[in-house]
Amino acid sequence: MEKKTPDSHVIVVTSGKGGVGKTTAVANLATGLAKLGYSVVVMDLDIGLKKLDLILGLENRVIYDIVQVADGECTLKQALVKDKRFPALYMLPAAQTRNKDDITTEQVKTICEELKQDFDFIFVDCPAGIEQGFRNSIAAANKAIVVTNPEVSAVRDADRIIGMLESCDFKDIKLLINRLRPEMVRSGDMLSIEDLMEHLCIDLLGVVPEDRNVVISTNRGEPIILDEHSSASKAFNNIVQRLLGNDVELMTLEEDSFWRKLKRNLGFKN
Amino acid sequence: MFDFLKKIFAAEDTSSRDKANDRLRLVLTHDRIGASSELMETLQKEIVALIASHVEIEGTPEVHFITEGRRTALDISIPLKGR
Repeated sequence: MEKKTPDSHVIVVTSGKGGVGKTTAVANLATGLAKLGYSVVVMDLDIGLKKLDLILGLENRVIYDIVQVADGECTLKQALVKDKRFPALYMLPAAQTRNKDDITTEQVKTICEELKQDFDFIFVDCPAGIEQGFRNSIAAANKAIVVTNPEVSAVRDADRIIGMLESCDFKDIKLLINRLRPEMVRSGDMLSIEDLMEHLCIDLLGVVPEDRNVVISTNRGEPIILDEHSSASKAFNNIVQRLLGNDVELMTLEEDSFWRKLKRNLGFKN
Repeated sequence: MFDFLKKIFAAEDTSSRDKANDRLRLVLTHDRIGASSELMETLQKEIVALIASHVEIEGTPEVHFITEGRRTALDISIPLKGR
């Protein structure tokens, strides 16, 4: 593992509500950065309900977990799982048979400090909720990405999470809108990007459109960002560039038109 | 057929997106200050009672929450009776 930059970014990906795409975002942004040669580690803090290994397709390679590292049953290096596609990407797995309070914020901080020596980017996959798992996840982070969907309950939870991050003195909080359906926004049946910005009042990191290819790539354990024809891949690649400090315009979200649907049904990539 | 026409004309009314925005505006304001909608009534009653104990009120007093960015403020407008 060779670091590209002297500093390390510790980014927590959180949402309050479950199922909005936190783990998918972590897997894709981490893969995107590793593809560019940055050394990246993803830390799964959803202890008891782990998913990140499955999304990355690394479920068969897990030997140790983060709780065992914290308890000193193995070393951090032993627990890190190397990605099968990119040598610069590693995963620190969550424990499946333990609880959120089987690890303390101090232990998470210690592990993070050690990871900073080897990695440019450390992503923390935060569990849903606002309890111990959330507190552990934000303990060592210096940036936060709040993932939400254009849907009232997800926005309400995102607002709560943003409030909690602000009260913990987080300065760098950015919004990732996932699963937007432009044609529904246009017909007045879905909250728009502007609506979400008005309610949540934080900087926008990016917008990922609803994309059926995400389901397919998740089935295969291959992050969607690697499927370069998909619109979700384009969106995630843009977000990767923004994380690197590059100014990338929001992509135009195309309507799922008759022709696109026809092309797709005929087997063309869209 | 009638249902179909009704649907077209109904679209002229409030869209579900507008409805979602209205509901969110209200619920986020209350969430942020950690209070229920009952608090509004209590506040209004108590504030108006306090003012009325010192000066005479004329017209309808109004007490609203207003939001600016992620901050919430109380907007009070109480018309007073002139001499």
